[in-house]
This record gives sequence, structure tokens and C-alpha cells, in this order.
Amino acid sequence: MAAGRGEAAEACVGRVVLPGDVLLLPARPDEDGERLRLGAGAAPRGRLLCGPGLRRCVAGLLVTKCGLLRHRQAGGGGAAGGAYWVDSQQKRYVPVKGDHVIGIVTAKAGDVFKLDVGGSEQASLSYLAFEGATKRNRPNVQVGDLIYGQFLVANKDMEPEMVCIDSSGRSSGMGIIGQDGFLFKVSLGLIRKLLAPKCEIIQELSQLYPFELVLGMNGRIWVKAKTVQQTLIIVNILEACEYMTAEQRKQALAKLSGH
Amino acid sequence: MAPPARYCVPGSAGSGHCGRGAGEGRPGAVRSLGPPGAGPGRTAPWQRRPLSPCPLGERLCSTEEATAGSGTYTRHGFIFSSLAGCLEKRSEDSGLPVVSVVRDAESQLLPDVGAVVTCKVCSINSRFAKVHILYVGSTPLKSTFRGTIRREDIRATEKDKVEVYKSFRPGDIVLAKVISLGDAQSNYLLSTAENELGVVVARSEAGVQMVPISWCEMQCPRTHTKDFRKVARVQPQFLQT
Repeated sequence: MAAGRGEAAEACVGRVVLPGDVLLLPARPDEDGERLRLGAGAAPRGRLLCGPGLRRCVAGLLVTKCGLLRHRQAGGGGAAGGAYWVDSQQKRYVPVKGDHVIGIVTAKAGDVFKLDVGGSEQASLSYLAFEGATKRNRPNVQVGDLIYGQFLVANKDMEPEMVCIDSSGRSSGMGIIGQDGFLFKVSLGLIRKLLAPKCEIIQELSQLYPFELVLGMNGRIWVKAKTVQQTLIIVNILEACEYMTAEQRKQALAKLSGH
Repeated sequence: MAPPARYCVPGSAGSGHCGRGAGEGRPGAVRSLGPPGAGPGRTAPWQRRPLSPCPLGERLCSTEEATAGSGTYTRHGFIFSSLAGCLEKRSEDSGLPVVSVVRDAESQLLPDVGAVVTCKVCSINSRFAKVHILYVGSTPLKSTFRGTIRREDIRATEKDKVEVYKSFRPGDIVLAKVISLGDAQSNYLLSTAENELGVVVARSEAGVQMVPISWCEMQCPRTHTKDFRKVARVQPQFLQT
């Protein structure tokens, strides 16, 4: 636990930090607290990246979320001096620009759909933000439909805006999610684990039954398998994965595939 | 035969007489407007002592007797009061005296078209920013008015590439110019499409006042993060060289 005055940041990596802790950074000789360096120059050498859960303050880094402190060393040849961030458990989603999420259509207001994404405000989605949509060719979206899209605008001052096309105008998997299937909510940490490349859980499940899966960064997962029973089995396994170890998961899957 | 009720110029000799005629309300006759406030025993408002109370909508006098000042409007050749307050009659050197109605001891300064106002941003949208108008010129207002800065009025050049989020944030103090008074329902319409208009004071996420570094960027002195704003240029008379 960091002391009230502040501990060195390197010493706290991998330990639990609480909001209000101050992490001291090694002092840099060329930094002057009084003068502000202006101009369009690039970030100075050895510049630190301050990730989620941390804020810069006068002494160093101020922790704003409780969790484990993580550190990544600087990339080879890069100008960045490494990154610090806090790994925390969270269920409430805060919209972030560029995140892919699953939204539920709650209202149609003129040219704009209102979507519930689990944040503090509803997101807006223009009907032109679909692939191949024109003023004459409107997408067939009804209230209650599920939409997989990404945030174009997401900040604390304005209502978030979503789009279902990427910057080049292609849908790349986004759009209206089809009929049937099952939507459920998990914590954000599990979503991040599932989205990691070569996730074991997904690989093991795909050995069991074939299924379709959509993961939203707002904690929502949509699953569809051939039958309702298979769908529900996959849903239960995914929900339980949060608290199961790898061994328990393998045992459960072995029992199911045996049946 | 009593003369029918008719228009009487107040102050004329027959005003009292006409007043009585109107007060009787002869059946069948078209009840024309009698002299304002006239009735048996009442004097015309503008003949009363100065700063006498005046209700809203009262017809004060005709445009031949005086000119309309602030708080009044003219209709059908007569001057009516548009405020409930005190009647004030000032005599001008040239021409007719000026009749005005004032609410408080000093008159409320209203933002006029073309006036530069100081306002505080209260909320932003992708299409416009809503502001509270605090000062008109250098005079503080007793009650704040609401204004709107539309997306196309933020800058003079490249209007379609403007992003409201990169120009203003809630809590910024902005210098703007009034371009329209708006309807009854809508707010004042403001514009910052000039070099000397825009954000004057802004706070960063750390809560520290930011320093402008260009016309579109401000930097926080504590965390050194740069934020986008539409910054107002300092007017030359305030620069110390």
C-alpha cells in the first residue's frame, strides 16, 4: 500500500493501489517545473504515457481507480518512455471513442436513432451511418433491434455518437445484428480477456459447438448457436468463466462434450 | 344633444367633457377609445408628477405630443407603455419631450445587435453551444440571458470543418457578438467569427487555468496537455509593448 506522501512508481508495479495514492516518478534533469515548453515539437524523450486510472499531478502520477498497477517498458527505438496504467474491475461502461459496442435501439427521432449502450446517456446513430445507406435507401431498423457499431464521438461533455461504418465507408462487420440469439451482460474485465488474441476460452468453446459471437466493449455479448439449448449452454459457460479457473473450465467442457 | 364619444387629444380643453361622454357608454354607439386614463376626475398619465407608477399597456399619449423613449412603443399614432414601471418624461432641447417607462432606478442594459458580450458556456452539442450572457460590454447584467452559438457562426473560415467540441467546452468564458435577438422562444444568437472573439478563459481537466498558445490551442501549465479551443486574440489596445 502506498504511503500518504507517495512511493516510487516502479516499486508499486503489480501491487494494489487505491485512489488518492501519489506515485513518484524519477526526476528528469531537463524538466523545469516553472517554465512551460511551447511550440509544435514532438513529445520529449522519455515521455511517460499515463493510462486509464491515472492522472498527472505536480509530484508525479495520481491514482484515480483502485486496482493493480501495471507497467510496460518503452518500445524499442520509440520516443515513448513506457506506460503505466491501473487494471481495475468495472461493470459500468463509460463510452470511449473508437470502442466497438452493442447498442439496443430505443427510439427513432427523425433522422437519428437513439441507442442504449449502458452509459449515462443514450448514444445517437444517424441513419446514413450504415454501409450503402442513402437518403432514399434507408436501413430497416426497428425499436428493439441490436446494433453493433463504434463510437465516433465520446466525451464527457456531449452525448455519444455512433456509426456502423469505418473511416473508409465499409461496414467491416458492424451493423444490425440478426434475429434470434441471446444477449447478456458481463463485466468489462471479462470482455477484455475474451478480446485478447488467441483467447483460450473461445477456442475451447468452438470445439464444443459451432456458434456466432459478438462482443461489445460495453459488457454485452450476443451468442447464437444452432439450437436454443446449445445457445444457453454457451451463455452459462461464458458467464461462469469470470470466476472459474482454467482447470474448472476444462472439466466443465469435458463433461458437456461427453454428453 | 350630447356629442358622441370620440377621440379627444388629451390636454385639450374638451378632455374632461369627452371623458364623461365615454364614461357613460351610450347604448348602441360604437365605443371608441376615449382619452387614456380619462374618466371623471382622472388626469392624463403624462401630466402626472414624474416617476409615477404606470401599468403595462397603458396608452400614454399621442405621437404628436411626445416621442417614444425606452419601455414604450407606438401603435396607431399613440404611445403605449411596454413595461410596468414608472413613467418618466424628459424634455429635449430640440423637438418634443421624450416619454419613457423605467422599471428600476437604473435602466436594464439589453444586449443589442452588434454588441460584444461576455458569456459562459453551459452546454455543448454537435450543432451548437448554449451560453449564459453575463456582461454586455463591461457592464454586468443583473440577470443572465441565454444565448446560442451555432456551429457555422464559430469561425469565419472553413465553417463546415468546425467541431464544437474543439472550439468550446462547458465552463469556458467566451467573448461573442450578438447577431440576432431571436424570437420569443429562442435565445440570443451569438457569433465568434472574428479574430478578437472566442475563448478568453478556460480551465483544463486538472482545474488549472490554461495558457493560449495559438488561435486554436491552449495548454495547461501543470500537466502540459494541449486542448483545442477557438481562442480570442488580445485586442491591440490591451497589449503592452
